[in-house]
This record gives sequence, structure tokens and C-alpha cells, in this order.
Amino acid sequence: MKGRVFEIREFTLHDGPGVRTTVFLKGCPLRCAWCHNPEGQRFEVETMRRRDGEEIPCGVDWEASALARELLINADIMLQSGGGVTFSGGEPLAQAEFVCEVSDLLHAHGIHLAIETSGHAPQEDFRSVVSRMDFVYQDLKHHDADAFRRWTGGDLALVLENVTWLRTSGVPFVFRVPLIPGVNDSAADRAALEALAAGAKVEWLPYNAAAGAKYPMLGRAYPLAKRGD
Amino acid sequence: MTDRISSLLDYTFDRRQDALRRDADWAPLLERFVAEKTPDMARARIGLCEMLRAEGEKPAFLDGERIAFTRTVRQIPDLHSDAEMDARRATGTAFGEKGVVFNITADFGPSIRDGLDARLSEMRSRLERARAEDDAAGIEFLENSILSVEAVLGLVERYRAAAEERGLTEIVEILSRVPRLGARTFHEALQSLRILHYAMWCEGEYHCGLGRIDQYLLPYFESDIREGQLDEDGALELLEEFFIACNRDSDLYIGVQQGDNGQSVMLGGVTRDGKPAFNDLSRLCLKACGELKLVDPKINLRVNKETPIEIYRLGTELTAKGLGFPQYANDDVVIPALERWGYAPEDARDYTVAACWEFIIPGCALDIDNIDAVNFPGALDTTLRTLASGGSGAEPPSFAAIEAAFLAEVKRRADALVAKYSHVEVLPGPFVSAISAGCIASARDLSCCAKYNNFGIHGTGISVAVDSLAAVRELVFEKKLVSLQELVALLDTDFAGRPDVLAAAKAAPKMGNADARADEIAQRVIAFWGHAFDGKRNDRGGIFRPGTGSAMYYVWHARELKASPSGRLSGQPYPANWAPSLDFPVKGPVSVVRSFTEPDLGLVSNGGPLTIEIHDSAFAMPDGVDKVAELVRFFVMRGGHQLQINAIDRETLLDAQAHPEKHRHLIVRVWGWSGYFVELDKEFQDQIIKRVELAAP
Repeated sequence: MKGRVFEIREFTLHDGPGVRTTVFLKGCPLRCAWCHNPEGQRFEVETMRRRDGEEIPCGVDWEASALARELLINADIMLQSGGGVTFSGGEPLAQAEFVCEVSDLLHAHGIHLAIETSGHAPQEDFRSVVSRMDFVYQDLKHHDADAFRRWTGGDLALVLENVTWLRTSGVPFVFRVPLIPGVNDSAADRAALEALAAGAKVEWLPYNAAAGAKYPMLGRAYPLAKRGD
Repeated sequence: MTDRISSLLDYTFDRRQDALRRDADWAPLLERFVAEKTPDMARARIGLCEMLRAEGEKPAFLDGERIAFTRTVRQIPDLHSDAEMDARRATGTAFGEKGVVFNITADFGPSIRDGLDARLSEMRSRLERARAEDDAAGIEFLENSILSVEAVLGLVERYRAAAEERGLTEIVEILSRVPRLGARTFHEALQSLRILHYAMWCEGEYHCGLGRIDQYLLPYFESDIREGQLDEDGALELLEEFFIACNRDSDLYIGVQQGDNGQSVMLGGVTRDGKPAFNDLSRLCLKACGELKLVDPKINLRVNKETPIEIYRLGTELTAKGLGFPQYANDDVVIPALERWGYAPEDARDYTVAACWEFIIPGCALDIDNIDAVNFPGALDTTLRTLASGGSGAEPPSFAAIEAAFLAEVKRRADALVAKYSHVEVLPGPFVSAISAGCIASARDLSCCAKYNNFGIHGTGISVAVDSLAAVRELVFEKKLVSLQELVALLDTDFAGRPDVLAAAKAAPKMGNADARADEIAQRVIAFWGHAFDGKRNDRGGIFRPGTGSAMYYVWHARELKASPSGRLSGQPYPANWAPSLDFPVKGPVSVVRSFTEPDLGLVSNGGPLTIEIHDSAFAMPDGVDKVAELVRFFVMRGGHQLQINAIDRETLLDAQAHPEKHRHLIVRVWGWSGYFVELDKEFQDQIIKRVELAAP
């Protein structure tokens, strides 16, 4: 089957062990106000316009087998270094079936697989994808359901259900918390998030002041434009 | 780092050694040489003696110093007038650069081990034989060489006496011993090395490499440690003092740019008999460089498919500090290449690098490994213009015919260089010859009679030429966007009026993206270039070795050229050495390594590294070093010959250009050596910034 990808980046450094390639899948059910990859939010193909006028198309449709072939070009260095492929986005679980198909093709070659996910997906999608992964970066964006809905547009209960399953799945994982000023970075927020993690490892990611950089190129306004200074 | 080392470091950074220096007026000496038509050999000896005698160099000691010798006379004598050199050129003699011995590593190990007295007695007995045999050339060489060595020992004696006056008992003791006699300790060995190396620069040699210090200094290090004379910290401190000394006089050394002084060190690899050579001293050298963060000496690290990942990690930790080194060389490619070129197997296993990256054999060779360069994009430009002017009625050539015509043009240029350097002379160096292998036995100067006398030819802009061929194929033959004539006309106007053609040119296949449509052209170009000099010999008995280096030619050649079919605009630079074009972003470093290791690099192992820029944020991650180390190992496993990696970010460079005073310690890799960014000409600064812009964050 086909899937939609907005970037394939090699030698990524923040997405798992060894030398890796990260595949950014296009489209996300959430609209996090601090999203630094706004071109990954919509499912439709878009065009980013740079300040110098150059147009960058965002969104390429790949047949799963073709994408696996492209990624396997670097299988040698991935295997040499204990690296592999990481699925990111957008929300990779929004194209769960596609990710599963690509994953199976890569696993057949012994490639280590990781995913970066919000966990905001139907249970069956979460379970089918995560059970194929060697490592999971699970976002914890907020501990409070109302705040979660306000800042991301999503349903925290859905995420927490999936997280509960993740803990029992046996798949190694780490929680990642993007610390957003005034959203979830107070001491009380952090304590509540820590409690949610319930002893599992948490990586606290500092707010990226350049997060809004791509919005003008898409003709959109950055929701958190006034923050982070 | 100890307080003593840190104060010696401050001394050098604050350039306090400048106060010890004076200017010398050597014009009268040169006038005398010209008037008396003094022979070359005598000039070299007299120049060195004048430099080192009491009116020249003065003993100078720095507070806390344990390894002496600092230059005090800024200029070394000119031995020949321009008119004299021009007259010799007019009769068909060519010279490599300045004409003197350069780009070599002396035979430091045996010289330090035996001491100069041993050399003097060998020379004296060899002189008797030369006299008995009426060997005039032998007599001339040996007499001058003896006097040169004596001049060096004379200065050592004055240093010793001056140290005595000041009560510097340790220095008195050590200078009573070395370099006259063989060194017994690590400290003596480093002092001896310092003096021999210092004296080479005074004789006028330049790009004097230090070679495999972790091999020839190892016996002293090991015996000191074994006998408890020294612990590892003590050895590290001495090594650091020696490394700092390499930075003290280096602004007086000859080079195209500040920092381009060729003080390279080679670590690791295999021994002359093929055993793993990386040892505790190699490790200590890496540690010393990491602590000092100086541009000299420039560290090279030999690796091969057996090298454990830990050694790559140690190297990468230096890269992470932004030093632009180590530069890696791959034994698995270089040693067989050197053997194929006629080097004895034990010499091939002993290779080091010249000033930048040309592979040379220490101690016995006088390869002129950068004698000239072929301009690959220039050759393609000539080819395309010739074919395009073939008349509009003529049948347009096929792509295969264009590629064949280009390779024929490369060959024509290679042949022209063989003819240009049919008679090359090197001016003698009687002192350096005394500390080089074989000269005393043969009673001949290194400049005429070294064991190896090969010439190296660089190839500039190879990736630009390959990308251009790929663009010609796509634009003219596959997409039929333009005719060959139209494309050639557009090169003169930087694609004026045809932004579509420029965009298509930039989007065409490029080396560095692991795109077979470009990489297979590169394979053919390198295979051809690797054999372009087969069967050719120079009149010194050597061969011509093609390479992938550019040295400073990449700036000169690019300046002369209009736009290229790859989308490069007129006057825009080529990448240095063996690296992707600067006109487009690549997919990433893995693809760059893949593309640039597709060709058979054993054919072009004169040297010339792939250069990769990694944004320094990579090293902020805890496992960033591991990942970059794996990338280097990947390069080696794929048959790459030479690699350098820079960790840098663009904002720092831009700020350094605007506020040099804030960044005087910022180190960058230039074409084959690391230098201080703020000391470079703007043209080189801009080229580096452009290179860095293409490195993905």
C-alpha cells in the first residue's frame, strides 16, 4: 500500500541508537500549539515557500516496498552501528497499516526500528505498530485532560489507555515531555507528569525557540508566537 | 593540564616569544653568493651556518621550560636571487614550489637513537673513501654536510653554556647529551627531536612533518615507564610541552596561509612488519592534543578494517572539540596502492603524510607529491566548447562521445604536466640529508638521490566535473531541455534568461547523494585518472601518482572558470579535495560517504581526503561521538582512502568574521590542515562558511 511522507532524513541524532534514518510521516490528528513540524500536520500535500521564493513540495507518496528499498540502501551502516529506522511525523500511527508493512519489510533484514508517537491513536493501531517496534519514544504532553484538549485538540484518555498497554507490552520505551513555557513547565506540572510516568524513564525536552520558523513558509501563524522569549 | 603547561600555553597564545625575535638583513650574503657564483651545496651550508652562528640565533629560554630551542631570527637567508632562478627555469629546469627540499619527514627515529656524533663519524669515514675514489660530488656533499651538522651542534653548545650561566641545571644536563649522543629517555628524545626539527626549518626546508612519533618515540616512553623514571602524567606533560613548541615559531614557517606549515604527525596503523601499531603513546598523543586544542601538530590517524571502534571514538572526541583533526588514512587502501607504485612493502607499511595528506614514506623519500594539478571542470569546459563549436550542421555527439572526449582532454593535460616536469631540480639540504636514510652511504644529498623520487598530481573539482557530466546527460540527452550549443552559451552568462535550465542543472544527479547516475560516472573518471600516468617516468627515476587532493589549486582553478553545467556559477569555488560540490545540499553524511567510496580509490592514493562537515550540535548528544565514529568506520570498511571531519556551526564562523578578536582560538580545517579561522584570507573564510552551510543541523 501507499503512505505519505514529508521527509526522509539520514544520520539523525535524537531518534535512537546507532546510525539511523528517520522517516517523517505526513498527517497528525493533533494540533499541538508548539508543533515545530507544522508541515507534518495536514494529510494533504502542501508547498512551503522559502523567503527567497523557492518552493519546497511537502508530501511524497511512497509504495511501502519502495520506501523500504530506499531505507535499506543504508542497511549496511545501520547493522554495523546497531542503528536503524525511526518513524516520526506528523503522527506515524495515523498511517498504521503502512508503517506496519514497511516495518515488516525492514525487520526481515534485521533493522532496528523505533517510533516517536503521541500515542493518540485507536488501540488496535497502537498495538499493531508498537508490537513491531524495538523501541518507543512515547510523548507525555500534559497530565490534565482539559489542558491536553486545549493545547493539542486531542483526548488524553485515549493516550493513557495506550500507555497502560505499552507498559505491559515488553517493548522498551521512554517518555518524552516537551517542556512548553506556561503550558506544562511549572513545578506542579512536572510533578504530575512524573507521577504519570510512574517510575519509567522521562526525557525532558527544552522548548525549542525556533519552533515557529516554518509557519510563515506555509502561510500560517505560529500559535505560540509570543512565547519562549 | 599542569600549571606549568598552562603557563607555557599562555606564553605562546600571548605571542610573548615575539619579544625574543629580531630581523636579519641577509641581502649582503645573497649578493656575495651571486657575485661569487657560489655552488648550491655551499650556499645551503653557509646559509645554515650564518643563521646559527653567534651573530644569528641567540639561546632563549622560557620560564619553566624543560625542552629548549626557540627561533630568534625571523628571516632565513635567501640563497638564490629571483634572476638566478629565472635563468635556470629559462633553460628548461623546473622546480617544485620554492625549489628546496620540502614536504618530507626526516629519519628522526635513528637520528635520535644514534645521535649526531655517530653521523659525523660515519660521514668522516665516508669522506675518506670519497677522496680515495676521487668522487667530487661525494666530497662536496660530505664536507658541507659535516659543517652543517657541526653548526647545529655549535648552537646546541651555546645553548648549553647559556643555560649553565642561568643555572638551568636540567637543561644543561640534557643538552650535554643530545642531540650529540643518542637519547636515553623520553625527555632526551623529545629535546633531540625539537632541535633536529628546528634546524631543518633554519636550513630552509619547509612543510617538515614529524611523522610517526608514536612509533619512533615509543622505546623511550616504554623504558621510562618500565623503569619508573616517568609515569603517564609525566610523559603527557613532556609531550604537551613539545606540542606547544610546535606552535611557537610556526608563524615564521613558509606556507600559503598561516597554519599551512605541514607539521603533521601520524599515529596508529601497522608497524613496518605489519603488526597493529596503535599503542599507549598514540593514546597519549591524542589526549595531549585534546587538552591543548592547538593547530599544531596536525594529527593523522591510520586505521584499517581491524581497528576497534574504541580508537575511532578517541579520534572522534578530538573532532568533537572542533580541531578539524584527526584526519584518517586507511591502511587497507593506501598500503597496497603504494606497493603497486613500487614502494617496498615495509616502507609502504611505514607511510605518513606530507604537509597535508599526500602519502609519503618518512626518512628516505623525496617525493614531490603536489607538483601540479589537473583542473577537471576546466578540462570538461574545454571539451564542451570544442564539441559545441563543431558546426551546427554536424551530427551532435552522443553522451558517451562527450565523456570520452573529456577523458581524452584529461589525458592531454596529464601528458602536458609530464612534459612540463621532465627536468626538475631540487636544491640541496646538507643538514637534512645527514638525518635522512641512505644519504651518507651513497655520499649524495637527499635532493638528488633519495630512495623514492615520485611526483604527485592533484585533481581539482573532480565532483564538479562528474556532476556536470551527469547534468549534460540529463539536460541535453534525457530531458532535451537544451542543445549542447545552447548549454555552452549559457555557461558564459550564468544561465541568464533560463532559470529553468539552472534549476534543472541543480536538480540533476550529484555525487554525494548515493545516486548511481552520478556515482557510476565518478567510477569511470577515477578509473581513468588512476591510470592516466601509466608508463610515464620523471627524469629522477620516479613515477607520477594521481590523487584526489586539491591543495590551494581549488581556489585558483575555480577563479578562472565560467559557470559549470552542474549549476555552479562563474567564479564560485570548487570544494576542497574529494568532496561534494558546494552548490546543492546533500541527503546527509552517510550518502556522501557512500558516493565518495564507490570509485576504486586505491588508484588515486597520492592523497586527498573526503571532507565532511558535521554540525557541532551532533556532539551535544551523549552518543554523538559514537555515531560519528561509526560513520568513520563505515568509510574505512567501504574502501575510502582518507577522511577528515569538521564539527562546526555557521553562526560561530560568521561571528568570527565580524568580530575576530572574540574568536582568536577558533580552529577550522582548510584544504589539508587546520588553522585559526581569523588568520585566513577572506576568500578562504567564505569558502569554509559555504561548506558549512550545506551541513545539515
